[in-house]
Amino acid sequence: MVRLNDLADYERAHLLAKNLPPLGPPAWVPPTKEIAELRIALITTAGLHFRDDPSFEFADATFRPISGSEDANNLVMSHSSVNFDKVGFAEDVNLVFPVDRFRELEADGKIGSLADVHYSFMGAGLNPDAYEESAAQVARLLKQDKVDAVFLTPV
Amino acid sequence: MTTGISLVRENTESMQPPRALWVSFPLGRPLGKPGDAAFQHRVIEAALDLLSEQSGPVLVDYPEDTPSAPVDDAPACPVSFAKPANDTDAWTTALLNELQTLTPWHDLGRRRRRGRTLVGVSDFSITENLQKLGQLLDDNELPTEELNWFKGAIEDAKVFYIEALTAQPGDYDYAQIEQIYWRETRMGAAVLRFSEMFLEDAELSAFARIIAPRTVSN
Repeated sequence: MVRLNDLADYERAHLLAKNLPPLGPPAWVPPTKEIAELRIALITTAGLHFRDDPSFEFADATFRPISGSEDANNLVMSHSSVNFDKVGFAEDVNLVFPVDRFRELEADGKIGSLADVHYSFMGAGLNPDAYEESAAQVARLLKQDKVDAVFLTPV
Repeated sequence: MTTGISLVRENTESMQPPRALWVSFPLGRPLGKPGDAAFQHRVIEAALDLLSEQSGPVLVDYPEDTPSAPVDDAPACPVSFAKPANDTDAWTTALLNELQTLTPWHDLGRRRRRGRTLVGVSDFSITENLQKLGQLLDDNELPTEELNWFKGAIEDAKVFYIEALTAQPGDYDYAQIEQIYWRETRMGAAVLRFSEMFLEDAELSAFARIIAPRTVSN
């Protein structure tokens, strides 16, 4: 488990060095719809992409689209960090990219709908401000897809 | 609106995203438990509930832990590395021999996962990659001009080994798999050797940090 007190000193220091001040003024969007009416997209920083897509570089602020209609079992991971578990992801894609769970929520009417396209970044080697341009690009794409809310997963 | 999972509470506290659910799960496991849809649904529901909050930022602690599987209960490792290749063997021979031993287990694991595999980030086959990695070590050379190939090759090898070592169904203790890979396989030893060589290289020492975890390298 990731309780910092349980980690080795160097590991704790490494993670605490990632503490940064807020990126800008608070960006709070108040809810206007019930959760059962929301159109939701998944965004992960796990460095996922389909095998034919270009791998992520060692430090890389670009993103890869993940079509909601493709089989997520064909996703691979090119993440430059070696300091997290991959055994679980090898067993179950939903552990990191829970698209099947969200399809179930959609089928049960617990969310409104699932976006046509989801997105993957590779969260290592760069500070958050390096992602500003690509994040803005993804925000425009999400708007185009009429997405109301995003569910974020790190590794 | 955004909501999501936080794995390192301190990072989320400092950066203050609008809504985050902190979970105590290991890095790499934001939804907690592989193959447990009910568990994953509980985590997702808790994170989605934050979308109803009227003001923020909101950082909520998820109450459920994921107890790691007791080592005694972990399924037996399908491969015996009790007699590793002799240190005097050429790396190329040792890696290709190990690959041959693991291939049937990888095939079995792949069938169990209905064809799913994470291998394939590299443009080259696992055999080609292990042959080339072994040759580099036999020649005591670093792939200084082919770092992208190198990273893809060792990542493909790692997931190939994980998929072979977990060929039997079961809730594996990931720490145990990591330990077998880094401490008992020639492939793990090969990557650690590369890591040492990178550390000795003034221009490429930082590269050592992205090929082997700090917990197993120096």
